[in-house]
Amino acid sequence: MTGSDTLTDDERFAAAIAALGAGPVRLRRFLDGYELRDAWDALASGRHPADPDGRYRSKARPSLVDSVEKGCVRAGIGVRVLGRPGYPVSLASDHEAPGVLFTLGDPSCIDTHPRVAVVGTRSATPYGLGVASELGRGLAGAGVAVVSGLAPGVDSAGHAGALAAIPGAPPVAVVGTALDAPTRRAEGQLLGEIAGRGAVLSERAPGSAGAPVWLFAVRSRMMAALAHVVVVVECHRKGGSLNTVKAAMDRGVTVAAVPGSVRSSASAGCNALLVDGAVPVRDVDDVVAAVELTISGRPGIVPPRTRMPSSPSGGASVQAPDPISARTLQVLDQDPASLDIIVRRCALPLADVAMALEQLASIGLATGAGGWWSRPSR
Amino acid sequence: VADDLIPAAAVRDTAFIGELGLDGSLRPVPGVVPLVAALTCRRVVVPAECAAEARLVGGHEIRGAASLGHVVSALQGRGGWAEPPSHVRGPTVSPPLPDLAEVRGQAVGRRALEVAAAGGHHLLLVGPPGSGKTMLATRLPGLLPPLFGDDALEVTRVHSAAGIGLVPGSLAQDPPFRAPHHSCTEVSLVGGGTAWLRPGEVSLAHCGVLFLDELGEFPAVALDMLRQPLEEGVVRIRRARRAIDLPARFLLVGAMNPCPCGEGSLPGACRCTDAARARYARRLSAPLLDRFDLALSLGRPDVDDLLGGPPGESSSVVAERVRFARLIAGARGVRCNAEIPPPLLDQWCPLSADAAALLERRLRSGTLSARGLHRIRRVARTIGDLDDTGPVVGERQVAEALHLRNAGPVLSEAQPS
Repeated sequence: MTGSDTLTDDERFAAAIAALGAGPVRLRRFLDGYELRDAWDALASGRHPADPDGRYRSKARPSLVDSVEKGCVRAGIGVRVLGRPGYPVSLASDHEAPGVLFTLGDPSCIDTHPRVAVVGTRSATPYGLGVASELGRGLAGAGVAVVSGLAPGVDSAGHAGALAAIPGAPPVAVVGTALDAPTRRAEGQLLGEIAGRGAVLSERAPGSAGAPVWLFAVRSRMMAALAHVVVVVECHRKGGSLNTVKAAMDRGVTVAAVPGSVRSSASAGCNALLVDGAVPVRDVDDVVAAVELTISGRPGIVPPRTRMPSSPSGGASVQAPDPISARTLQVLDQDPASLDIIVRRCALPLADVAMALEQLASIGLATGAGGWWSRPSR
Repeated sequence: VADDLIPAAAVRDTAFIGELGLDGSLRPVPGVVPLVAALTCRRVVVPAECAAEARLVGGHEIRGAASLGHVVSALQGRGGWAEPPSHVRGPTVSPPLPDLAEVRGQAVGRRALEVAAAGGHHLLLVGPPGSGKTMLATRLPGLLPPLFGDDALEVTRVHSAAGIGLVPGSLAQDPPFRAPHHSCTEVSLVGGGTAWLRPGEVSLAHCGVLFLDELGEFPAVALDMLRQPLEEGVVRIRRARRAIDLPARFLLVGAMNPCPCGEGSLPGACRCTDAARARYARRLSAPLLDRFDLALSLGRPDVDDLLGGPPGESSSVVAERVRFARLIAGARGVRCNAEIPPPLLDQWCPLSADAAALLERRLRSGTLSARGLHRIRRVARTIGDLDDTGPVVGERQVAEALHLRNAGPVLSEAQPS
């Protein structure tokens, strides 16, 4: 965490200009060719050529500078300005790099690691969550920084996996909301852990409420700009992850996808990407190979090395405690099945199946939510 | 009488009910049953069409008349009353209720219906379109025991007051099944009206089933109005001019999709935005969701089952088990197990050691709330009654009860935490 009590003058004015709420393109025009203080003064007096009709003049009050600074200091948020020291070099070279970046944690780790974006749908299947978590863990263990969007589902699972790798490369989160915005409890916790070991980036100034729709597209392009390889774990046919894919393709960033069942709508987008020529991903090694191809020969970044996977599923498998549980376990699949289907497959009374599921769940052999049950993916 | 047309003695102890037409005819009016029941006089004169209905009350001398002239001449002793039409009616044949045997597959859904009927547990069905929610719900009245005694009279009175079709010449026997559309107004749901207080759907479903399909589409205000009748079994309608308490003890069956796109129950299948899901889930207030003892997540039935799987048990078989379970519950002094008050739970639903361990595990893992605990115990008690497993509630019953309430996560997942 950056623990400074105040911001530098440059940072204060940059943060205030970002807090005006202009889009990314206009924000860069506000900043280009100006000293930050001058840019602010020009906006506040309505003389800035990038704001010809004075739309931002009324917002550019001196009190805004103070309140944004307070917001930054209170939440330990750092401010990085494009073209100045401290701004991540790997992002600065992008043609759509945000003019002002708000950060938690230490963004300097970004430039020293190879980076892979692990993205996917919010409504993921246990399969997708499991794969995302495995990839996150394996990549972090191999020295690759996992970049993701901190959304529920695949994004969060990837990050949780990356955090589970010790030692592991620092995780990087790119979020669409302001860094001091209230989040769901689970995300807030994850955000804190990522900030502690890696970096969290946002384009929104502290105190900005909500996130306009365009911000999610903008966030996607920042993830694509940061990543050497974008891995789509699970994605619906028209899923939001495809924004990231499109941004990656615009930049020539390698797109990789995890194949899934052709019957799973959550994998439809991934499978379509594979048909279109995306790199297929079966495991961490596939991703690492793609990353090595991308970065080989670039100075400053240590290529990833996969280590031996830490013994899968811990050797001896746990046995089902009784015949009924064994039968129930047999009909359980990695794909979730409804309680009704399980009862039918077992051909046992509901009470027996219910008891067996409770027992299997208590020893970690079954997992269920909302009446859908499956075998946990390791 | 005032004009001395009729001797005063002739109208002593007599009440007259009916709508007088301009041509002197007497027209039938709704609500004859409760009106007559409220009268203490010996003789009641009603329009001829209402006579049969009025006789249901018993204890009064009911006279039917077709017109005012008819009434006058009868009272003057010049003519007789219209003879009560001697109904040469066969045994009342009510249209057959849909049978449970027609439901293919859905073993869990059928079981939930059985438990709901036996214990009077409110049931929430959550599933994608085409998963058979409506099909299951319409089978519920066929599982409930027929009405008798005071219940039958009360139902008949309410239905008479609402002016809806009664089985001629007899008290209501079949438990009513009411399924108002989600566009219904609040007043039509709970009852009321300005000039004429009319019972709402909750009262019409008294002693029967109130089925709210597409629960998420009902206005939130209307749904929250259900909470008081659900709690007390009567609906207290208060208006500026009148106040009335109507019976409203019904079995609530709600059906809804897990999310706006309908596919949300299967992990990974939902295409809704978080905001849309949250909005949908917020339609149902937590206190209302809490009233459902059974909340079942349904999947689409298996294709093999649809195309000629083995037919399940028929309604009559299940209804017999339900009747038996209700008898056991009746011995506890409650109408059904859903009404067991919390202080008596330990007495009537003692838990075996492993059942208690299972519940404790669920409580600790946060997948069961303290309030949900009572409901699970009542449902487990009903399951025990159905299977006749004796006074102690065992692990099997508790496990089954827990799994008949598995739709919670589907809904709470969508709620911002």
